Amino acid sequence: MIAVIGLVIGVVGGLLLQPTVPVELQPYLPIAVVAALDALFGGLRAMLDGIFDDRVFLISFLSNVVVAALIVFLGDQLGVGTQLSTAVVVVLGIRIFSNAAAIRRHLFKA
Amino acid sequence: MSTRHGSSEPPRSPDASMTLLNEVYRRPLDPGYAEATARRAAGTGPRRTWRSTAGMVLLAMGLGLGATAATLALRQPAGAVLAARELLEAQIEQRRAEADEQQADITAMTDEIARLQEELLGDEGQSVRDEIAGDSVHSGVTAVTGPGLRLVLTDAQAENLDEEDPELRVQDVDLQVVVNGLWAAGAEAVAVNGQRLTAMTAIRSAGDAVLVDLVALSSPYTVDAVGDAVSMQTELARASAGQHLATLRTTYGIGVQMTSQSKLELPGTGLVTLHEAEVPDATSAPEPQSGAVRDASGQSLVAGSAGPTRRDGT
Repeated sequence: MIAVIGLVIGVVGGLLLQPTVPVELQPYLPIAVVAALDALFGGLRAMLDGIFDDRVFLISFLSNVVVAALIVFLGDQLGVGTQLSTAVVVVLGIRIFSNAAAIRRHLFKA
Repeated sequence: MSTRHGSSEPPRSPDASMTLLNEVYRRPLDPGYAEATARRAAGTGPRRTWRSTAGMVLLAMGLGLGATAATLALRQPAGAVLAARELLEAQIEQRRAEADEQQADITAMTDEIARLQEELLGDEGQSVRDEIAGDSVHSGVTAVTGPGLRLVLTDAQAENLDEEDPELRVQDVDLQVVVNGLWAAGAEAVAVNGQRLTAMTAIRSAGDAVLVDLVALSSPYTVDAVGDAVSMQTELARASAGQHLATLRTTYGIGVQMTSQSKLELPGTGLVTLHEAEVPDATSAPEPQSGAVRDASGQSLVAGSAGPTRRDGT
């Protein structure tokens, strides 16, 4: 629960402070946001399953974002940035979809 | 395969080739959650200290802040770019409408001028009418069609493509020499790449480009001259322009092609700007020629280059 509270505080702080992201990081933002979404959905599902864990949630969140950005960076260096971005988006998208489906089953029993 | 290993190997599932997709689709949840729960149930999980809790809160706050900043950064520029684009589009449309309106004005006024001129001349003004027709050809106002000479100047191909040698390019001075040579050879109307030359035209260079009346042109330069093709060709060859062209061809490798055309169509500038100048008072201005510029009708030499002439072959 602590992690969720901290995350909410961070989001509110971000909305209030409006920090600017360095230009060098701009290309990795879309993928990082998708990865963060994936971690969020995973955490929500785990919460509904009753197996939520602060540590696992935070670490999966962080590693998701970092790995996604790293993959895009590597792809850019190798000249396959767009293709790797697509691959990451496909994999994370499928995961988000099935986690969302599980959440739906939990909430609506359908 | 399975016979060699005996029955120890589990039966191969029919969708074994789709392990990656299955892995992604069937186990979307991070297995870490289940493991953590199992560890907690077994009592082997990491112990919570105040330090690790504070670290987790800080990490969570940082992640939330970062994610929010990223989302904001992704959303903001799209809106700004869109707004700028819409603004530019609106401006373009507005200016285009203004230009259309003004073009319509110009056409209407030109028609009115022609009508008034016709009215003024009446029946007896035939000689004046002929003079006007001749002058409007010389001054480049009206479009001209007729036989003539076509000269095509092409930049020389550099041996080393990385190295741009300005000497290998057709320069403003070359075009000036050619055009002046054509005027001298009896051309009635001259155009460079479709830009009609008038007495007020300047051929200059700005950087790599050759400007004709402030329009940037690039190689190949097509110089069209309406007139007697045969006599122009011989006159041109006899004059210094002919030597200049020969030098360009032999020394610098610039392509020079001269063809006589049975029909050339030269556009008119369609615009007459009347300039008025007075000879200044002799007592007030010691140099009377400083302000005296007479406007232009008829042939005259093309105004000179803005920079020093660099070519020294002629």
